[in-house]
Amino acid sequence: MSVVNYGTREITCKIVYYGPGRSGKTTNLQHVYSKLPEERKGKMVSLATETDRTLFFDFLPLDLGTISGFATRFQLYTVPGQVYYAATRKLVLQGVDGVVFVADSQSRQLAENIESLQDLHANLADEGLDPRTIPLVMQYNKRDLPAGEISAIADLDETLNFRAVPHFSATAVTGGGVFETLRSISTLVLSRLSAPAAKGS
Amino acid sequence: MAKEAEKEAEDAGGEFADFLADVSKEIAQRVESLDKRATPPAPEKKKLRTPAVADAGVFVEWPYVADRMIEEMR
Repeated sequence: MSVVNYGTREITCKIVYYGPGRSGKTTNLQHVYSKLPEERKGKMVSLATETDRTLFFDFLPLDLGTISGFATRFQLYTVPGQVYYAATRKLVLQGVDGVVFVADSQSRQLAENIESLQDLHANLADEGLDPRTIPLVMQYNKRDLPAGEISAIADLDETLNFRAVPHFSATAVTGGGVFETLRSISTLVLSRLSAPAAKGS
Repeated sequence: MAKEAEKEAEDAGGEFADFLADVSKEIAQRVESLDKRATPPAPEKKKLRTPAVADAGVFVEWPYVADRMIEEMR
């Protein structure tokens, strides 16, 4: 996906929230949406089942207006976390510019976090993207749960964050850490803007 | 009551405003550096050189013959 298009003076960034089922990906987007000023609120597309599980994906377009002469748009997506939606996750990852991996801090969810991270790496590789270099930040969500139920940040980091990318504690349900995470991934994506991409696809 | 609602609205926009400020700053920096890279330096005008001659009327530096011909046609 083109990040910056000099011809049309547009910057478009696609950011995908990835992670196991029920880790809080949709909640992240819902919080961002809830904080948007009215004039910037577009439509958040969310397809959920009756039990509020994401069925297909969530999509939140963020029109940031014209910045330094460039019409700037961020597109935030989530993937369905459940294992059997593998094809949808691959589809959503197409043309991704940056990934937020939302991990569930609950100790009993550690295996699901690892499996989802491996799934992310495999799907990125299938898309011809290098999992070792694509902009990535880790978010350790649900830090509001009792200490006995969640893993320590250091343990999560040691197990999941082998690239030593920026990581954030979050309580997405109340908004804690949501914008910090978004700011970090946005900065990483934007720092990769380059002249060749301007002419590319 | 109205003040509370106003403050809540400000807080709500605050997180987004901070985000927007960060993104704007990053883009401004990047665009500035990209603009410099995207504008190629003007090519240096090639100076025409009079070819050296070995004998009267015989050019020995052939690459410059075309330049000389173009110059004389102007």
